[in-house]
Amino acid sequence: MSTVKKCIVWDLDNTLWDGICLEGDVVIRPEVQQTIKELDRRGILHSIASRGEKDVAVKILQEHKLEGYFLAPRINWLPKSTNIVRIAKEIRLSLESIAFIDDDRFELEQIAFMLPEVMTIEAQQAPELPYMSEFTLAEVTREARARRQFYQAEQQRKRAECQYPTREDFLKSCVMQLKVRSMNMDDVPRVLELMSRTHQLNTTGRIFLHDELLDIFSNRAGSMKIKVADLTDRFGWYGTIGVAITEASDARWRLLYLAISCRVLGRGIERAFLASLLRDAQNLGFDHAEAAFRDTGRNRMMRALYQMSGFRKWGKAQKSGTLIFRGAISEVPKTPSWVDVV
Amino acid sequence: MDHDIEEILWTYLRENCLPRGSKVMYDDAENLFETGVIDSAGLISFVCFIEEEFDMTIPDEDLLPEHFMSISSIAAYVRLKQKHSLVLTSQEN
Repeated sequence: MSTVKKCIVWDLDNTLWDGICLEGDVVIRPEVQQTIKELDRRGILHSIASRGEKDVAVKILQEHKLEGYFLAPRINWLPKSTNIVRIAKEIRLSLESIAFIDDDRFELEQIAFMLPEVMTIEAQQAPELPYMSEFTLAEVTREARARRQFYQAEQQRKRAECQYPTREDFLKSCVMQLKVRSMNMDDVPRVLELMSRTHQLNTTGRIFLHDELLDIFSNRAGSMKIKVADLTDRFGWYGTIGVAITEASDARWRLLYLAISCRVLGRGIERAFLASLLRDAQNLGFDHAEAAFRDTGRNRMMRALYQMSGFRKWGKAQKSGTLIFRGAISEVPKTPSWVDVV
Repeated sequence: MDHDIEEILWTYLRENCLPRGSKVMYDDAENLFETGVIDSAGLISFVCFIEEEFDMTIPDEDLLPEHFMSISSIAAYVRLKQKHSLVLTSQEN
């Protein structure tokens, strides 16, 4: 099965447009413009890795009202592999989620060799991108449609951060509000999307099916509950950025699954969400909590979250290899001071 | 006791986690999580840096508050690991 790509990195001359911009007029074909806008609408991001003079290229993009579609563009004389790695780092995507499109076979081969994780596409295929499985999503959520704006708001946050003496002052200035609530039917597409797109801040990596979620939701799966977390700050709306599945029985309270969008890394949101879930458990009368963790090779930070919150390894499921962590709720660190949980 | 380790750790945090150009000085004992300097993701990047910088492997089991809550606890952990590896190396020889 092909994986869905999250970002497409464009070459410019004879790829995004016909012609070479330093040598005269160029034309951006309507079908390429349509491709850019259609993928953007689906929440697939665009960037640029191209040789050339930035000012000249940016002017052309402005004339066509396209410059706003491209995040972290790199137009310079550095190797494209270097530029792609830097783009991935800046917009915090893994190389596996990036596709690169160029008219030059040599450049494509070079990227395929240097960065084998990156999907390479020939320029002539640009109009076909919206029909490729790698760029086709089952359902386009509100969060997906706004994805580019999220990244642009993120750039504003980065610029704002420099104005504050400490990270804590900056985080407080963001006025973050985390709303933790029970999942609704309307949330299902976004929850499924979050579960499939989240790899690092995902405690088990388990992929839930639509019907499984509905079973839990409609209480056919015993005492399990699904909670979601929405985040806003003064820069904008992040949408639903976290999902948790909990199970309460007479004897124990378990956090079976926890996933948080990597879009909100670096703000302690995972600690705020965890603290809120544990407060619920405490209100139900539990003084200890258990939490499941399965090592997926990419989610070390979730193990760190549990351990740094005072949880200790308690057991291991023989078949699945899932670890169970256990901790006293009273010892869990408080919600970060800059997050208002509502 | 020399403070090279603390210095190396702070340099990393200044370059990667604190607002650019920030002049604020923190105490080594400051809680890095409560002050928002790092979170779970920031910790993992920091741990990767420490592993490379000090040529050591940090097992997941060691990611505990007593080792990673502050610069002083991390430096103490690094020193302990270095001492252990010295013991191991001399045993091998």
